[in-house]
Amino acid sequence: MAIENIKTNTGWADQDHVPGLKSELLELNMGPQHPATHGVLRLVLHTDGEIVYKVTPVMGYLHRCAEKIAEGVNYKQWVVYTDRFDYLSPMTCNHAYVTALEKVMQQEVPERAEHIRIVVSELSRMASHLIALATFGLDMGAWTPLLYCFREREVILDLLERISGGRMLYNYMVPGGVRYDIPKDNWASDVLDFITMIEKKKLKDYNELLSYNKIFIGRLANVAVIDPETAFDYGCTGPVLRGSGVKFDCRKDDPYSLYHKFDFDIPVGLGEMGTVGDCWDRYMVRVREIEQSCRIIRQALESLPEGPYSALELKKPVKAPAGAAYSRVESSKGELGHYIIADGGQTAFRNKVRSPSFCNLQVIEKAGVGLMVSDLVALIGSLDIVLGEIDR
Amino acid sequence: MSKDSTTPPEGYDVQREQMLNFKVPEQLLKVLDEDGRSDDKNFILTTVDEVFNWARLSSIWPVTFGLACCAIEMMATSATRYDIDRFGAGAFRATPRQADLMIVSGTVTAKMAKRLKLIYDQMPEPKWVIAMGSCAIGGGPYFKYGYHVVKGVDFIVPVDVYVPGCPPRPEVLLEGLMRLQDKIRGRKGKFITPKWITDYAKKIPYRK
Amino acid sequence: MDQKEIYELLAEKLGTAALGFNDEGVEAHADVAPKNIAEACLFLRDDERLAFDQLMCLSSIDWDGYDENGKGKSVKILGYTNEGQPETSDRVGEGDFGVAYSLYSHSKLHKFTIRVRVPRAKAAVPSVAQVWSTADWHEREAWDLMGITFEGHPSLRRILLEEHWEGHPLRKDYQMPDKWDNVPLSGQPYSNNPFPTPVVTPDPTPDQPAGDDPVEG
Repeated sequence: MAIENIKTNTGWADQDHVPGLKSELLELNMGPQHPATHGVLRLVLHTDGEIVYKVTPVMGYLHRCAEKIAEGVNYKQWVVYTDRFDYLSPMTCNHAYVTALEKVMQQEVPERAEHIRIVVSELSRMASHLIALATFGLDMGAWTPLLYCFREREVILDLLERISGGRMLYNYMVPGGVRYDIPKDNWASDVLDFITMIEKKKLKDYNELLSYNKIFIGRLANVAVIDPETAFDYGCTGPVLRGSGVKFDCRKDDPYSLYHKFDFDIPVGLGEMGTVGDCWDRYMVRVREIEQSCRIIRQALESLPEGPYSALELKKPVKAPAGAAYSRVESSKGELGHYIIADGGQTAFRNKVRSPSFCNLQVIEKAGVGLMVSDLVALIGSLDIVLGEIDR
Repeated sequence: MSKDSTTPPEGYDVQREQMLNFKVPEQLLKVLDEDGRSDDKNFILTTVDEVFNWARLSSIWPVTFGLACCAIEMMATSATRYDIDRFGAGAFRATPRQADLMIVSGTVTAKMAKRLKLIYDQMPEPKWVIAMGSCAIGGGPYFKYGYHVVKGVDFIVPVDVYVPGCPPRPEVLLEGLMRLQDKIRGRKGKFITPKWITDYAKKIPYRK
Repeated sequence: MDQKEIYELLAEKLGTAALGFNDEGVEAHADVAPKNIAEACLFLRDDERLAFDQLMCLSSIDWDGYDENGKGKSVKILGYTNEGQPETSDRVGEGDFGVAYSLYSHSKLHKFTIRVRVPRAKAAVPSVAQVWSTADWHEREAWDLMGITFEGHPSLRRILLEEHWEGHPLRKDYQMPDKWDNVPLSGQPYSNNPFPTPVVTPDPTPDQPAGDDPVEG
């Protein structure tokens, strides 16, 4: 790859080279064990020391054969494995699977169960975005937001533990409803108190501490711009797509569950600090999504109807008639979809998981070229990948 | 070069000869046996044992080896609510060369196994391994149909403490850490002479 | 746009290559001959009325042992036994492979699904990586896990498993490996009680109680 042909952010590679002097690209390995790669991801960089000319991600270090397991265990037993895809927001992964399965089964879900599902999914999404902020700040060198965000996340985990029994991985949703009802000990009012606190005090804290921090903006503005055509082409969804200015969200544009009843905005990257589609935009979309999740939770809890919390009896096995369908939800990382082929029994015939991080990561091969190595770390942090999803 | 009287003849290994001529000095023979090991009954060296063990267990520095979901619980353990730093173990080192504990948190796959062994080999002695979570203990939920999952990290590295759970709560991980500290507290007499010296000493025919 | 209308536009373009439209189930899908899939996808992306600019999902399917009656009696996959050893079987896989493409249009807000079917002996499908760049990795994964070759792919190599892994795991006749490159993959035997309580022999000298009461006997 000729050095002169690479377009870089800083223009360093365009300089003339001293004739007679030869330089080679260094092949560097950001190995599977690395403090800044958000899991076991290996990146092979071809760099001249600072600027990256080619980046090749190597994955599969966490390949846990979930799609093969789907052909071996029951529909209800497989819900456990969906938690382990995006282990930062496991309720949205549960929701994706049961939504797809209910489409194949053509199964109705009671309204109370839908409301509960929406509330816990949005709480999970908030927990995941808090970790995204925390680790992104950590990658950029800010240690304090990590502790602040984990403190709020512990409260969310307490609330979800009260409703489902598990602290981080829940196995909570079943096709037809949810496993347990809302506990009677003021759970709903605790959630509303927590949301009020987040909206009124904490988001302001995070914005003052990190988002509008001059050094943070200096590191992220105009870095790794992804334009909308590239994002569509590479199949990017979620905050990566919205950070590039495209107003697309599965909850609004392809509604599932009861999202069409609730009123919320879709934050989009506006290029406030630099160009539209840079790292800061993708980060800010996540911060604003936390706010919108609070709105949804409040509306869902205030209009919570009475009724059953599961349409099917929980002790009976679940069978799906023969057929195939693809259905998707908006998980915290993007569009998480399942293509399920059922054959009439209790086990899926084929269950293909379309994970958002798998498609989002592919854009690094294009957007990572010409960046400095530290900017590459910023790009990975802003894509917010989870290796459990990529490797399934 | 071989004519010079100060250079040794070929085939003569200076270091090996020095190791073979190792002798415990006369004054120390009163408190150590000929192999250079200390004896429990000696009061002074038992206390020094305790001091060294206490220093090691109060500052176990883990290497960041988070693989999967358990890594998030490990991060939560080092956050403010279940602070792991009060046990001295809060300084997570990115490089294994400066760490003495490897918390294998998450599923070990066939692709990752070689790299895990590489990281373990790079850690200096003394080193310990905590297998955190059911995937690291025995393959976890991927036991039956996981063609790419190693059924337990103890097929790859020796494990000291197993911490069960999927994922284990932070309090459980802290309990595992405390059990590891108990294990370290009970170590005896390993500080005076390195093992390779005593091994060589045993090979000399006039030693017992 | 309606699914039927989209299919009619596609059939108009492809002619005999469009093999049929099935809208009886939950989701309608179109069957296309494998040789013309790249042409079909290019048409679907570039036509202004259709404008399918996103490939949502590319799924590889192994139709081996599918129960056509819908009774759930499809062939079972092989795993590890309770002793931790891989299950073996002499059954040879039969049946076709399939690929399902799920498409979406951001501007027209409609979806569509296409399926192709290729025989097991010669599982080769033209690649659509030139049409949507996201298909690059999806097809590598389909090659890795199912073994379907994609002709015209820029670099078809394994993505999730190691490069010299043998076999394609998602096939229905795949037998679990016992060991790979010296990494043991078989497990320890499953027992109902992995931590049995040790049988303790009773102590010959019982404890002395503290205080003044003497021990009986």
